[in-house]
Amino acid sequence: MAITGKDETMTDTSTASPKPATQPAPARPTAPTGAPLLEIQDLAIHFRSARGVARVVDGTTLTIHQNEIVGVAGESGSGKTTLVEAILQIIRFPNRETHGSVMFTPRSGPKIDLMKTNERQMRRLRLNEIAYVPQGSMNSLNPVARVGDQIVDGMVDHGLGKREARDRVPGILERVGLEQRVAKLYPHELSGGMKQRVIIAIAISMNPSLIIADEPTTALDVNVQRKILATLSKLRDDLNVAIMIVSHDLPVHAQLVDRIAVMYAGQIVEAGDIRSTVKLPLHPYARGLMNAIPSIGKPRERLEGIKGATPSPLSWPPGCRFHNRCPHVMDVCQTTPPILAAAEPGDRDTGDGIVLVQPGREVACHLYLESTPKEARPQ
Amino acid sequence: MVFVNLYRESGKFRLGAVITLILIVIGVLRTPLLNLAVGDTDPMAVGSFGIFLDPTRDHLLGTDRFGRDVLGLVLIALPVSLTVAFLAGALSTVLGVVVGFVSGYKGGRVDSVLRTLTDMFIVIPTLPLIIILAANTRNLSSLKLALVLAAFSWPFAARVIRSQVLSLRERPYVELSKMTNLSDREIIVGDILPNMAPYVAIGFAQASVGSAFALVGLTVIGLGPSSQMDLGRMISEALGYGVISLGKELIFVVPVALLILLFLGLALISQGMEEFFNPRLRSQA
Amino acid sequence: MVTSTPTTTLDQEAELTGGSGKGGRGALSPTATYLLRRLGLYVLTLWGSLTASFFFFRLLPGDPISGIISQLQTRGQYSSLDNSQDMVEFYRKEFGLDGSLGQQYVSYFRNILTQFDFGPSVLSYPSPATDLIIRALPWTFALIGVATLLGWGIGVVLGTLTAWKRNSRWAELITNGALGLSHIPPYFMALFLLIFLSYRGGLLPSRGAYDAGLDPSWSLEFMISAIKYGTLPVLATVIVAVANWMISTRALVVSILGEDFLTFANAKGITPRHVLTRYVLRNAWLPQIAALGLALGGVVSGNILIERLFVYPGLGNLLVDAVIIKDVNTAMATVTLLIFMVLTINLIIDLCLPLIDPRVKFTG
Repeated sequence: MAITGKDETMTDTSTASPKPATQPAPARPTAPTGAPLLEIQDLAIHFRSARGVARVVDGTTLTIHQNEIVGVAGESGSGKTTLVEAILQIIRFPNRETHGSVMFTPRSGPKIDLMKTNERQMRRLRLNEIAYVPQGSMNSLNPVARVGDQIVDGMVDHGLGKREARDRVPGILERVGLEQRVAKLYPHELSGGMKQRVIIAIAISMNPSLIIADEPTTALDVNVQRKILATLSKLRDDLNVAIMIVSHDLPVHAQLVDRIAVMYAGQIVEAGDIRSTVKLPLHPYARGLMNAIPSIGKPRERLEGIKGATPSPLSWPPGCRFHNRCPHVMDVCQTTPPILAAAEPGDRDTGDGIVLVQPGREVACHLYLESTPKEARPQ
Repeated sequence: MVFVNLYRESGKFRLGAVITLILIVIGVLRTPLLNLAVGDTDPMAVGSFGIFLDPTRDHLLGTDRFGRDVLGLVLIALPVSLTVAFLAGALSTVLGVVVGFVSGYKGGRVDSVLRTLTDMFIVIPTLPLIIILAANTRNLSSLKLALVLAAFSWPFAARVIRSQVLSLRERPYVELSKMTNLSDREIIVGDILPNMAPYVAIGFAQASVGSAFALVGLTVIGLGPSSQMDLGRMISEALGYGVISLGKELIFVVPVALLILLFLGLALISQGMEEFFNPRLRSQA
Repeated sequence: MVTSTPTTTLDQEAELTGGSGKGGRGALSPTATYLLRRLGLYVLTLWGSLTASFFFFRLLPGDPISGIISQLQTRGQYSSLDNSQDMVEFYRKEFGLDGSLGQQYVSYFRNILTQFDFGPSVLSYPSPATDLIIRALPWTFALIGVATLLGWGIGVVLGTLTAWKRNSRWAELITNGALGLSHIPPYFMALFLLIFLSYRGGLLPSRGAYDAGLDPSWSLEFMISAIKYGTLPVLATVIVAVANWMISTRALVVSILGEDFLTFANAKGITPRHVLTRYVLRNAWLPQIAALGLALGGVVSGNILIERLFVYPGLGNLLVDAVIIKDVNTAMATVTLLIFMVLTINLIIDLCLPLIDPRVKFTG
């Protein structure tokens, strides 16, 4: 019982941290400060099946900078998980087509396009440079191997000696807030939160420059969730690592990320720093998504969902993919797909009223784009 | 309806069904076929033809040591083997369904006793017991032999049926019937039996394979019924007078091939059905 | 006629693994409870099947004593004996067939348990049946042991590899070959091997367990001869066993390959070789050990026929010889030993499994 209770009693006993990690960092940068680490450029992943071509990821553009936490939000079916699997090159589906590039800057050596690496190069990058915290963390550990061995084997396969790898285990466990004896246990002897910590421990074992976490807290209860997120946030500061968090859960992003990208129908429809995006989402879809969450302290209002269902990747709607669910649809939306670009600053009519758009916001919506002819916008 | 879809969708089932059906048709048509093969001659009669003749147009598979036409022998042996295998399959299915049903439906103590018994029959080697029982039964007829085989192959069916009843028992409509105080018989006849047909069929196929295996085991060592010719006995006799060293393998290769086809057919049917009715298995194939 | 497709699955894995009942209670530790339960089940099954086989033999139609006497007479040595009542009584006592069924049952078990005595044999009267089965046991044990270990080991490895490389042409070819082979009874396989390797090829001997000119010993010459004679019978069993283990392992591994922990192993940058050995194989061979125990009964049954075909001096051949001349004591001794062997190996597997598989606990 003492083991399962660990998550509830966990406090930051590990390396000293400048700020209490259980609260969102108060001073998050509004603009990225580090150099670009991962540049996803117009990425498309198409799956061919008997029913047709599923364009699951279809023209996604997103940049992650060093030491930055970026969140990717979106409903299920928006292509988030495929995006992650594409970056790590762990997609299982055999009949696929890839377009675009994912440029990654390793700690040493030149930039490489992850879409053009062979399996050998990619294997070396995994864990060493890019680590993964998977969605199904409940079943992501080998059921018949001890936790310690599962931390060690990854390090050994990246060139560490067995002894050296073993010596590192206590430090790694401590960093993620686990007791030493966990190394001797088997996965089925751990609670859900502890398993997730073990996964994170494995992810940081080679000091990667990027951690990609896919729904890292989905199966956990809220309390454990909060602590896991705090651990991640602290790791960023301690290890100087960038984190990409994929989650459908907006509070997760609000608690943790610096910048957020909203994904819809295989594309990023809005990207910006977390504060202004949450305060004033520009894209009608992002607005719908954020309105679907009740907020404490604000006057009670009717929660607005988004009408209609997510379209199928086999046949995205023409023009803007959101147009048939959009409350502010215009003629131009039905024919011309909007491209993600900087929103034109200044006063904009969103259809719900006039808002002041600050510089530095990116959105794929005709309401805000300079490229969209003035006469096509609401007057 | 289910079986039509099954036939359409499962290649394994289709192949198995076709193989088994061809064997059955040959068995059913044995009289006209025998007429074609050996005319009026009694296929069992010794010395009808020359001994160890090579295959010719008159004797498509040649003759054996006693001057009997091998094709004629095969034609009378095949239906006997089929009858015993299917009869034993049917008898053990009945037994297995009853045991499986009671075990799965009653649960508790009854279930644990019956399940221990079933497991015991699966774990211990049963062929020795079959051999002893068959060797000590007087005037072993096809029916008696089938009974002996069935006595040891029912656990195959019982296991399939039990697990199915267990899952059916938890279905909402059965729960509802229980809550409305329907009798066990009404629940079994009304709710459970209609959903069992595919599993009874799987049980039957598996029990038939089991019976056929044991049947061959028994007859190839010469302990089957002495009054009748069947495929296993053909093999046993042929080996007895040393056809391998004489280079006349055809005499026993044909019955061996037919028996392998029978095993293959039944196994494919049962695998096809299992995959069809249990999609989890199908996805792994 | 059924019109709807049932959606529930046949839960066969659950059936296979569900050996014992609910968790322990009282002061005993779970491990002790499990051990006691499993041992209790073992003793119960052993007693049950031995009791069943005792009554099975005793209740067979006809009085065995007349068969025994006529066999002894036809075997020559005792033709001088007349068929008097005294002689019948003498042999009845000698073969443990005197007294009521209950008395016979008690003395039968007492003799087995205290002296490992099954009474005299008919096959080589007056030697006890125990002598015969002790002479035959090593041959059967070696044959089944070697064939099972080889068949299981090769089958599990091949099944893992064909699942691992399931998109390659080779793997597909091997899998289809195995699917075909798995439906051939080992006995038929033995026949084909006999034709091609022994009679036609003249490569290996076709009958017996060692060269007739040699006496059983631990000498190198004898060992080589025993291996030469054992190759065909072992091969026949191994080929079919490999096919069957391969198919079941392949299905198991294909489902393991879809597991989350394999995706994660991949994302950890584990080398493919280590993924295969540490993640796939390790998860595949443990359940297959549990399956081994269940398959053993069938192996023993099949082995009887193989021994018969190759005139191999093991328990199976002895059993058939005994059955044919109605040598009740020897037949009973053989059956008892075979059942004991299978149940004991199953017990050993069940007791070892929690030690080697961390997921299986001694929880009773």
